[in-house]
Amino acid sequence: MSVDRGEVLRIARLARLRLDDDELQRMTDDLNSILEHVDALGALEDDDVPDDGRWAERRSTRASEETVAEPERLDPSSMAPAFQDGFFVVPPPPGVHAEEDSS
Amino acid sequence: MTRGRAVDVVDRIRAAEAGPEGLNAFISLANDLAGAATDLIDGDAPLAGVPVAVKDNIATLELPTTCGSRLLKGYRSPFEATAIRKLRAAGAVVVGKTNLDEFAMGSSTESSAFGPTRNPHDRTRVTGGSSGGSAAAVAAGYVSMALGSETGGSVRQPAAFCGVVGLKPTYGRVSRYGLVAFASSMDQIGAFGRTVVDAARLLEAVSGYDPLDATSVDRAAPTLVDAAGKGVEGLVVGVPEEYLPDTLDAGIRGLIDAALERLKRAGAELRPVSLPHSRFAIPTYYVLAPAEASSNLSRFDGVRFGVRREADDIGAMHEATRSTGFGTEVKRRIMLGTYALSAGYYDQYYGRAQRARALIRRDFREVFDSGVDALFTPTTPTTAFPIGERIDDPVEMYMSDVFTVTANLAGIPGMSVPIGSLDGLPVGGQILAPWWREDTTVRVGAALEASPGGTAS
Repeated sequence: MSVDRGEVLRIARLARLRLDDDELQRMTDDLNSILEHVDALGALEDDDVPDDGRWAERRSTRASEETVAEPERLDPSSMAPAFQDGFFVVPPPPGVHAEEDSS
Repeated sequence: MTRGRAVDVVDRIRAAEAGPEGLNAFISLANDLAGAATDLIDGDAPLAGVPVAVKDNIATLELPTTCGSRLLKGYRSPFEATAIRKLRAAGAVVVGKTNLDEFAMGSSTESSAFGPTRNPHDRTRVTGGSSGGSAAAVAAGYVSMALGSETGGSVRQPAAFCGVVGLKPTYGRVSRYGLVAFASSMDQIGAFGRTVVDAARLLEAVSGYDPLDATSVDRAAPTLVDAAGKGVEGLVVGVPEEYLPDTLDAGIRGLIDAALERLKRAGAELRPVSLPHSRFAIPTYYVLAPAEASSNLSRFDGVRFGVRREADDIGAMHEATRSTGFGTEVKRRIMLGTYALSAGYYDQYYGRAQRARALIRRDFREVFDSGVDALFTPTTPTTAFPIGERIDDPVEMYMSDVFTVTANLAGIPGMSVPIGSLDGLPVGGQILAPWWREDTTVRVGAALEASPGGTAS
């Protein structure tokens, strides 16, 4: 399989990345070179592989229902410039004005 | 193991790193250690007063946790990793946070936003990666032990390039709580040491069940140090043919053969074995790890962690923050993973890679079930390469993990131990063992350490 510039732009949008023209060309070339290598997986015989792709054969451990105190956590008020009534006070997200927020 | 006043150790590192021969091994060094170690040196704790360096993707309270990324420059974690809590309980002193490939994605420590770390054996060459700063710090004698992390070989490969011991435990042995996630189904904290016993001692200290990590497994922490004295008499050491291809560098092949001969003389039985699906390891890894990374790194959106790049609306803010915060290799892997998971391609890439992973794991199980106690292979196909040589060729860079990634895909423990040098550069031999048998890697590693390695040119 290979990808073209349009496909790479579509992936970049999904990944929330912006690529300039140079980056777009380089990314397209790099992805194609990696995908060419990854296509070796096509040589796997379908009949030869476990049908559920399950890899984790070891018994998993269930976490207990018990609440565990997280150790050494900093007081959240010490981490933020503004902290009020148990909440962080943060700037409004882009495009939202403080006046709207308070209305 | 070196004990010393940690404050002196930090001063010594700072002076060495500031000079022309500095390695750029550390991103941050502890400032306030006066008194921290002096009270502990004579204590009973297993690592009392021992200075330890820690890879900068493991969360600490006193020092920033940057993951080698612009996006997290100066970031302070509100909590610390379980491994760090255990280190402190064992009496160790964290002297600094070491350089790494950005978000642990790389095999040379060149993708760090803080510049590459230089190999102490030849400063024009890479340390390997991604835990290159930790490997260099041990190799240079700054510390006798350091924590790193592995997803595809990031402890064993730099250990081989820098001539130190690197030990990656079974998946689930060491808590991942506080280890910044890259590919969660493979990430594990591992240990570097100047000697096999140092690495074993450090791994013992940080091992054990942790309810804060859902993938931590409830098994007693291993006793590894004792295993170093047990020898290899009667152990069956498998030699997988796929890890000694005809194309392998003749010098490395010679050192591997010499190491096998030493094991045989020490009483081990050598047995040729086959792990046929290992040939799919690199393509499998480079689908699964980026797929998990694309999901894990979606949390870095300019809202919750690190820096924010302002923009007109929230979507543009996310894009601007991520596009300027992440470096080239991280973007490449996020893109690759997003593609592999996207509609229409999932079965072809992710589903197929999961199947290959099951087969790679089955190969190991069959070999170990047949009575093989450990496997011995080269850790890397080459010695440390020159800085800049592979940075623009991702596939060539990925190939330096060709012998290490299978252990991460299967979840088994592995160690790299120095077995000699080639043109003045260290060569590592890799010991792989069944799930939970880190003690076997220690036995074999210690036996190789006890008999002199070779040199070749």
